[in-house]
Amino acid sequence: MDNLEDLKIVVEQWSNQGIEYLQKIPPFQLYAAIGVLLLTTILLLSFRLARRTNSNTVLLSGLTGSGKTVLFYQLRDGSSHQGTVTSMEPNEGTFVLHSENAKKGKIKPVHLVDVPGHSRLRPKLEEFLPQAAAIVFVVDALEFLPNCRAASEYLYDILTNANVVKKKIPVLLCCNKTDKLTAHTKEFIRKQMEKEIEKLRASRSAVSTADIANDFTIGIEGEVFSFSHCSNKVTIAETSGLNGDTIQVQDFIREYIKP
Amino acid sequence: MLEQLLIFTRGGLILWTCKELGNALKGSPIDTLIRSCLLEERSGEVSFNYEAYTLKWTFHNDLGLVFVAVYQRILHLLYVDDLLNMVKESFSEVYDPKRMSYDDFEETFRQLRKEAEARGEELRKSKQVGKGLGSVKKQGQVAKSGLDGGSKQSNGESGGGSKKDDGDGDKGKVGSLMMMMTNGNHANDSDKTDDFVNGKENTTDNVVVDPSKLLKLRSKGVRGRGGVRKIDSIGNKSSKVTAVEPPKKATKKNRVWDDAAPKQVKLDFTDSVGENGNGNEEHVDIVAADQGESMMDKEEVFSSDGESEGDDDDDDEARSDEKPEAKKKGWFSSVFQSITGKANLERTDLEPALKALKERLMTKNVAEEIAEKLCESVEASLEGKKLASFTRISSTVQGAMEEALIRILTPRRSIDIMRDVHAAKEQRRPYVVVFVGVNGVGKSTNLAKVAYWLQQHKVSVMMAACDTFRSGAVEQLRTHARRLQIPIFEKGYEKDPAVVAKEAIQEATRNGSDVVLVDTAGRMQDNEPLMRALSKLINLNKPDLVLFVGEALVGNDAVDQLSKFNQKLSDLSNTGTTRLIDGILLTKFDTIDDKVGAALSMVYISGAPVMFVGCGQSYTDLKKLNVKAIVKTLLK
Repeated sequence: MDNLEDLKIVVEQWSNQGIEYLQKIPPFQLYAAIGVLLLTTILLLSFRLARRTNSNTVLLSGLTGSGKTVLFYQLRDGSSHQGTVTSMEPNEGTFVLHSENAKKGKIKPVHLVDVPGHSRLRPKLEEFLPQAAAIVFVVDALEFLPNCRAASEYLYDILTNANVVKKKIPVLLCCNKTDKLTAHTKEFIRKQMEKEIEKLRASRSAVSTADIANDFTIGIEGEVFSFSHCSNKVTIAETSGLNGDTIQVQDFIREYIKP
Repeated sequence: MLEQLLIFTRGGLILWTCKELGNALKGSPIDTLIRSCLLEERSGEVSFNYEAYTLKWTFHNDLGLVFVAVYQRILHLLYVDDLLNMVKESFSEVYDPKRMSYDDFEETFRQLRKEAEARGEELRKSKQVGKGLGSVKKQGQVAKSGLDGGSKQSNGESGGGSKKDDGDGDKGKVGSLMMMMTNGNHANDSDKTDDFVNGKENTTDNVVVDPSKLLKLRSKGVRGRGGVRKIDSIGNKSSKVTAVEPPKKATKKNRVWDDAAPKQVKLDFTDSVGENGNGNEEHVDIVAADQGESMMDKEEVFSSDGESEGDDDDDDEARSDEKPEAKKKGWFSSVFQSITGKANLERTDLEPALKALKERLMTKNVAEEIAEKLCESVEASLEGKKLASFTRISSTVQGAMEEALIRILTPRRSIDIMRDVHAAKEQRRPYVVVFVGVNGVGKSTNLAKVAYWLQQHKVSVMMAACDTFRSGAVEQLRTHARRLQIPIFEKGYEKDPAVVAKEAIQEATRNGSDVVLVDTAGRMQDNEPLMRALSKLINLNKPDLVLFVGEALVGNDAVDQLSKFNQKLSDLSNTGTTRLIDGILLTKFDTIDDKVGAALSMVYISGAPVMFVGCGQSYTDLKKLNVKAIVKTLLK
């Protein structure tokens, strides 16, 4: 009991001293200091909230040679200019989609990022994934079968990424180069990708408990994998980068980034 | 004549191509250049050969542009570098990030080309000797100094270029060679170049040097420097001058002893036992799967040390200890520059930082040539870039080097073996892995570890004992097989390994094994008959994976081993599919603390990814390569 009382007295003394000290400071400085503190905390909080809810970033990813850079420039300028080569760095831009230039009024610009598809540059995708609001995965519908395995591995890595699963980022599987005669249909591509991902699921999750390759597994146990099993929405579209037929991609982008 | 000249951004958009030279290029040389050269951190090289074309390039790092010139390989145009430089300068004046088409540049280009061609003609005709034949470090660096010389409009006086090289001292290349960029050159000058190359320091007769001939002569002359002469040969399989073959030693005995007499006294003491030995070997304890998880499947737990930013102060101190005077001044001025944000990075600014970085890499056991090439590549990518304010040059260089290292060590294709095994299973054939390497690196031990790991993942494995030379090799594998309870195919000693492997694969197909692991004898990369035997084995059996086993303790020899292995495999292969090394297995990783550079050397020189890392001598000591950890250790 004595100890408690002693403690109480000590605390009281300290608080008295503190109040005296505070009263010594001229009031203006005190208010200024408190004001600055409040301001900074409010700013920090608002930035963090703003980034999370209002992200307007769309990622264009896919294997090398699938047509991402062409698509990027089509969406931005309406033409792919003089052609493209293998990208070594990402193409970024914040702009209003080209076809919407004609519309009047204030439309929210889209931050579009074209991530190189070359396997050596794969780590760049992970830099951009945290800020993505939607992902467009571009697949070459013309040379689909030779690249099917690599494409499905890439897609599997994206779909099992922690960011994508937690934030349920929607994915559009975009079949490009459909203007060519021998391009495959989107149904065929969808079925092949589902088959390949099913095989990947079997081989990668049959490992031990600590699967360091992928963060999560997708699909439902015991059933053949289908894109409808994913917790985030996966849809399919057809486009043609060279022709400029990108209407389905634009609809997808606008669905998730409200103008 | 020039076939084509392109200007494109690093993001991939083509900004301008010459309409006058409207020839369509056969194949896709630009894409191949990007994929096999620029993204492989070989941008420090002089040129790149693709089928019938030669490509030369230059960067404008500040604006993020790449300029590429394509011309026929058989023509040795020497005004190309000069032209590229002039194009770079004039285009960067016109360039605007918003503009996408530059049709008016056509006119400028035509003029520039005329100028460059005229200059080349002039110099070819003139009898002026190339000045200042100071010794030069490397041909690539000469190219760059020549480029700078060209940009300074020094009218072919490469004296300006040589001044830059004074600080490099003698590096003893064949002769002292100064490449005159702007010389037109033809075969009638070649006899003069031969004299020149024979080691005369200062000649006053006309020496007009042809760089491609130089490459050939250099490769012939400089032999013992390790096998790296043309890196692109591994990717390109272009015809090249091979090193002088070691003379066939007359004393080398045949592997198979033909004499009748010693046959009875053969040194094979193996008991005649069946495949699963009985008799006096029952007491060998069966390990089965009881050793726990292979480390392949465990999470990597490594303490995240302070970020590299925090180490910068230590780095500065360490470096300043080494070179007190010059460094102190350099440090101070670099701090000043970092605050004000100097305009553009020059080569002279980058050199000290790059030199320090190269030293650091070499202390981490990276082969000297690899460190050199890497530094050149980083230099090429940073030159001309604007330095951001409040960053030191050293941290910019460090950042660029880190990116480059991550890029090299990231595998080019997927290394998911499980998936490949399943794919082969569907096709109802076994997945064949061949382990090759020099003597004593740990092939048999790591073969057992891989077998253990596969077995843990419910894959049925079979071993093939194709090391029919070393005494005890077959017994060793037999013991492993018994402990792991997997079948082994053996035929004893002194048999042809290629035939043994073939029969093993047939046996595996018959009894339904998923994977066949083929153990081969260790062999030195210079040993011609053994390399021939190895490529016979690979050609005959067409394995799915050729795994090169290399130890992490190796230093500069890694470069020689891998390049010679690849070279022999490509030279001695049948027409059609050429199999090279597909993957690397790095062994004895636990014996090196932080000297992890061998991994980098091996990956750089061969382009093959590191698929496994052996870090101990028990069955569970097999890991995957953690790229970020290695890069951090290399740059610490």
